[in-house]
Amino acid sequence: MTGFLHVGGADLACVAPELVLAGFATLILLLDAFARPVRAFFPYVTLFGLGVANLAGRDASGLFFGGAVESSGLTRFIELVACGAVALAVLGGAASLERDRRDQGEFYALLLFAAAGTIVMVRGVDLLVVFLGLELMSLSLYVLAAWYRDVPAATEAALKYFLMGALASAFLLYGIATLYGRLGTTRLTALQGLSSGSSFVPFDVLLSAGLLAIVAALSFKIALVPFHGWAPDVYQGMTTPAVTFLSTAPKAAALIVLLRLLHALFPAGLPEPWRPLFAILAALSILFGNVVALSQRDLKRMLAYSGIAQMGYAAIAVATFTQDAFEGVLVFLAGYLVTNAAAFLTVAALSGGETDPRTLGDFAGLGRRHPVAASVLTLSMLSLAGIPPTVGFIGKFLVFRAAVDSGLVGLALIGVLGSLVSVGYYLRVVYVVWMKEPVRDVTLVPEDLLSGAAFLLTAALMLAWGLFPRALLDLARGAAVTLGGR
Amino acid sequence: MNFQPLGADLLTTLVFLPALGALVLAFLPASSKVAAKAIALATSFLTFGVSVLLYRGFDPATSVPEAFAIDRPWIPQFGIRYQLGMDGLSLALVLLTTLLTVSVLLVSCGQEIEKLKGYLIAFLLLETGMVGSLVALDTILFYVFWEVMLVPMYFIIGVWGGKRRIYAAMKFFLFTLVGSLLMFVAILYAANVHLHATGIQSFSLADWTRAASSGAWHLAPGTEALLFGAFALAFLVKVPLWPFHTWLPDAHVEAPTGGSIILAGVLLKLGTYGLLRFAYPLFPHAAARYGPLLAGLALIGIVYGAWVAAAQKDMKKLVAYSSVSHLALVVLGIVAGTGAALSGAIFQMIGHGLTTSLLFLLVGVLYARRHTREMADYGGIAARVPVTTTLFVLATLGSIGLPGLNGFIGEFLILGGVFQVSVVWAAIAATGMVLGAIYLLTLVQKVFWGPETSPANRALTDINGWELAGAFPLVALIVLLGVFPRPLLTLVEGSVKTLQRAGAPVAAESLSPAVAPDVRRLGLHEVAAPRTEAAR
Repeated sequence: MTGFLHVGGADLACVAPELVLAGFATLILLLDAFARPVRAFFPYVTLFGLGVANLAGRDASGLFFGGAVESSGLTRFIELVACGAVALAVLGGAASLERDRRDQGEFYALLLFAAAGTIVMVRGVDLLVVFLGLELMSLSLYVLAAWYRDVPAATEAALKYFLMGALASAFLLYGIATLYGRLGTTRLTALQGLSSGSSFVPFDVLLSAGLLAIVAALSFKIALVPFHGWAPDVYQGMTTPAVTFLSTAPKAAALIVLLRLLHALFPAGLPEPWRPLFAILAALSILFGNVVALSQRDLKRMLAYSGIAQMGYAAIAVATFTQDAFEGVLVFLAGYLVTNAAAFLTVAALSGGETDPRTLGDFAGLGRRHPVAASVLTLSMLSLAGIPPTVGFIGKFLVFRAAVDSGLVGLALIGVLGSLVSVGYYLRVVYVVWMKEPVRDVTLVPEDLLSGAAFLLTAALMLAWGLFPRALLDLARGAAVTLGGR
Repeated sequence: MNFQPLGADLLTTLVFLPALGALVLAFLPASSKVAAKAIALATSFLTFGVSVLLYRGFDPATSVPEAFAIDRPWIPQFGIRYQLGMDGLSLALVLLTTLLTVSVLLVSCGQEIEKLKGYLIAFLLLETGMVGSLVALDTILFYVFWEVMLVPMYFIIGVWGGKRRIYAAMKFFLFTLVGSLLMFVAILYAANVHLHATGIQSFSLADWTRAASSGAWHLAPGTEALLFGAFALAFLVKVPLWPFHTWLPDAHVEAPTGGSIILAGVLLKLGTYGLLRFAYPLFPHAAARYGPLLAGLALIGIVYGAWVAAAQKDMKKLVAYSSVSHLALVVLGIVAGTGAALSGAIFQMIGHGLTTSLLFLLVGVLYARRHTREMADYGGIAARVPVTTTLFVLATLGSIGLPGLNGFIGEFLILGGVFQVSVVWAAIAATGMVLGAIYLLTLVQKVFWGPETSPANRALTDINGWELAGAFPLVALIVLLGVFPRPLLTLVEGSVKTLQRAGAPVAAESLSPAVAPDVRRLGLHEVAAPRTEAAR
């Protein structure tokens, strides 16, 4: 039997992207310690590392490390998502970090580690590997949350995120242990064999308890109602470039892990108690997130609640649980990544600094001061609201379509109703930025090349994927094949 | 004539040329106003030119839009196609749209507008959305263009509007979105039904219509009613039919002149267009069943709109409520569904687009000089602004349906067609026409005639060259279509044949005996008769 510790070249090649990311993270840490003058180049080093990591990723699929990790279309997808999220965070955040003298190497190193953890989460075919990835990602993010450690809101955010995140991790581990106790394995592939081989009862108390614990832990990472409590405070206190990553890639990874686990346990479709459960989670998140976002005055808090609602749409796909839904949700997540990143980066570009109040009124009339950022912000608001021709529309279209096709018309209607409510606050941002007279004088972060690139990239992707979604759909289809096991 | 390949490319050009112009404008520095105007005008003229080219190459026998189409896969994974095409109905509205955009941009050149570049970009993007909605034949593609229209209009009202512009812009956006989001779910559901009925993944209107007419849909009556309701709601909010009309007066009052022109001239017609193109052909049984309900709402709208208009003191609000009344008559014509009523409805869509746009344009001319729309602030200004007065009177007469101007033809055909279906409907609708004459003539009298009441109006200057250039084509068409309506009727004849549901063909000869003599006496039988030889 090939043991866990017997590692061959093919195994290493499979996890090459993570190795590269970790390698570059270590390199940056060392450079920061021994060659401080090169600090200004860290953003570029990080971007280079991300590029190399992506090149190191392979299209070939298979199981490695004795069947504990895999390489597939799905891992390829999450590699792109994680590296993309870090790239956007670095591009958009470098200038403000440098201005605030917070551009220590650890920031970039932690982001790279978090990206590696995100990838490992999805790469793991063994639930323990998933747990490892999740911890690597979370620990990096706990530190990043307190990056501006002299800002009280940031330390509060970090503490809250850490305490609640630790609880979620405990739940995840407990759930994995319970599953192991019931089924005798933590391998997703082995679960598939178990469940197809007769003696499997769809509703089993021990199994259900374990699964429920795992679902709660992952829902916490995704920030679904009622596990969303941490999101607004953390979003508000955490430095914006880091939120760019936090609000996108980890959620995508957690959702994919959830789908994989459910599919491994229930390859024939979600059985009765689970399907309504996820439908309720989705509906609650959509309604609660959108309604509460309406009353938010702080832009980052508003985006936090909007993110809860957006993940509610993604959860519709979990309740739908068809191949079409898997494809749809991957497209939705990719679109959400660029859209949300665009929103946070432009919010950062339009505020005076880390401690600058970010209430909506402070953005009055900034459209004329910084038209590029304001235009991209507008586009991202429209995309979040699902207005065509942006990628946000394509994502929602696919998710709703899958839901309607499998008979969940009511859930689609709730989603549509939520979209309608969401227009109220998304458009308010547009209105404040463009149609109100400026009320205060604020020193904006000077426009730099990197953030300009981030704006253009996100804007181009939002429109290009919205107008010509074929390539994105093909990517998602390739990834969903792994997810659905077909 | 084999126009197909050229026509196909022309359609794409037609739709995206304005967006291209907007893109060019976006890269222009904000200070170069003359260049911005020149680019925007050139783009709109070119687009109008393209639509005229399409008109020249159009075969009036075309009865279904697919006959003149471009069809490429867009999102092949889900059977969504980039499918454009036009029949006479689309073409007539496209011509109206491109013409009105030219008018709006001409007028804006003659008036001081802040943030001019953004204004021009918004109108060009809006044009792409409107034209796209009119030629899109795939429901998802249509939905995309339909929503694309919302955003520029939101900006036009919200940035360049009056005091309560934010409220009005938001109300416009949300009202329209409620309807269209429900339609979106209905589209998804219908696609699912189509997939199960035929095994083909398609969002194409042609495929769906085929399934609907051949009975392959197998829709339960309740389901069909819900789907029809979702589609109809989206379109009726846009029309807007009573009781969904409340956003319109707000939007009109707050919108800048150009916004009002496009709103009244084109956006409202897209509602009735949607009914004709989607709601009725796709769900004929539900449409027939709920026709009386729609007719009832339309009749209330005709009388209510006219009644409320008569009570207005603000000129724009008055014209806005008159639109509620006039468009309700169009909806009534569509519900009646006879050949004459449909011809009239389509004719009236164009006619109303011309007259109401002209009215809004002229109110805008006065507003740009005096910054008030209250009728009481004017009075007896005919001598100060003779040209404006003449044009305003002409637009008013056109709007109330004076024979010899375009409004008459449309209203007469609709009433004649409705009469065949129900005498009561026709009688109630006719009272709306009478009321229309009263409030519009009162408007003219209060504003232009009588003794000069306010000294502030002494400095009033007449319409300037740019504004006149924008108004001229509308004036010309109002008169031309009034005395020579045949080209337009011929153009839409094929569409009417496809759309009509009551047995009677288009020709006035076959109107019911009660109406036919009147039609003959007025010489309308020539107007309404199909141009059979020429068409073949």
